[in-house]
Amino acid sequence: MVDLKKVVLERDLNPYHSFFASFFAGLGELGMLNQGSINIVAKRAADYLYAYLDAKEILPDMDTVPGESKTEVIKNLILYINKILSLVGEYDLQDAGDDQVVLLIAGNTCRICPKGVGGAEVKGTLCPIPSLLESLINMITQKDMLELITAGIEKEGSTCKAYFKVLN
Amino acid sequence: MVPTISAQLDAILNLFERNVPHVQATAVVSTDGLVIASRLPKDTEEDRIGAMGAAILSISSRSGDELDRGEMVRVLVEGTNGYILIRSIGEFAILVALVEKEVRLGMLFYECKKCIEKLREIL
Repeated sequence: MVDLKKVVLERDLNPYHSFFASFFAGLGELGMLNQGSINIVAKRAADYLYAYLDAKEILPDMDTVPGESKTEVIKNLILYINKILSLVGEYDLQDAGDDQVVLLIAGNTCRICPKGVGGAEVKGTLCPIPSLLESLINMITQKDMLELITAGIEKEGSTCKAYFKVLN
Repeated sequence: MVPTISAQLDAILNLFERNVPHVQATAVVSTDGLVIASRLPKDTEEDRIGAMGAAILSISSRSGDELDRGEMVRVLVEGTNGYILIRSIGEFAILVALVEKEVRLGMLFYECKKCIEKLREIL
C-alpha cells in the first residue's frame, strides 16, 4: 500500500490524478489491464484528447512551435501536453542517437502511475504515457513523427524510460 | 550458427500448426500483453490479440483462485466459428492459438501441451 498522504502532497495530485491512477490500478489488479491493453487504450484516449483540444481551440499551431531540431519540437510538444494534462513533475527528453529520443521521467513525480499513485499490486508496468504521447504528438503534427520503440515504460532505478524513433 | 530465439519460437509454433489440422494462428505473448512471437494472418491486429489474450488468461486465473478451482490448466473460448485456446507457458509468457471449429480437441490439447514444454525450454 502506498503512503497516500505522502504521494498526494509530494506529487501535487489533483482529484483526477487520484481517480485515474487508482481506477486503472483496480482494473490491473483484477487482471483486466496489462501494458499491452494500456498501450491500445492510450491511443484511443489520444483521439479523444485531440478532439477536445480542437474543440477548445487550444491546439498548438505547428508553424509557431519553437525548436531548431526535431527533438526540440517534440520537447516543446511534450511540454504543451504536460501543461494541459499535468502528467508528471520532472522529466527530460534526450537524444539517444540513431534518430532516437529517450523520455526520462522521475518516477516519484509521476501523477498518474497506477502503481506509484494508484497502489496497483501487479507485476510489470501499466504506464499510458509513452503510447499517449506517441499518438497525440502524431495527431498534433499531422504526420508520423514519433514511433514508440519500447513496449511501454522501462524502469531503471527511480527513473522511467521510453525510447522513440523520430521519423519525420 | 545458433538460431535466434525468434527463429526458435517461430519453428515451434510452425510445428504445432502443422501437427494439428485447423490451427489457424498462434502467438507467444508476455504476461504484460505484449507479443513476443506470432504466426498471425496479416490482417490480424497483433497488439490486440496479445493484450486480450493476456487479459483473458489473467482474469480466468484470478477467477479460478477466487472460486477455489485450483491451478488453471487452460482457457478455451468457444465461438460459432471456432476456438481461442490460451495456456500459460510459465511465469512470464502465454500461448494463444486461434483454431477452427472442426479441430479434434483431444489432439489440440495434447499437441498444445507438447508445444508448451518446448517453449518453456527457450523462454
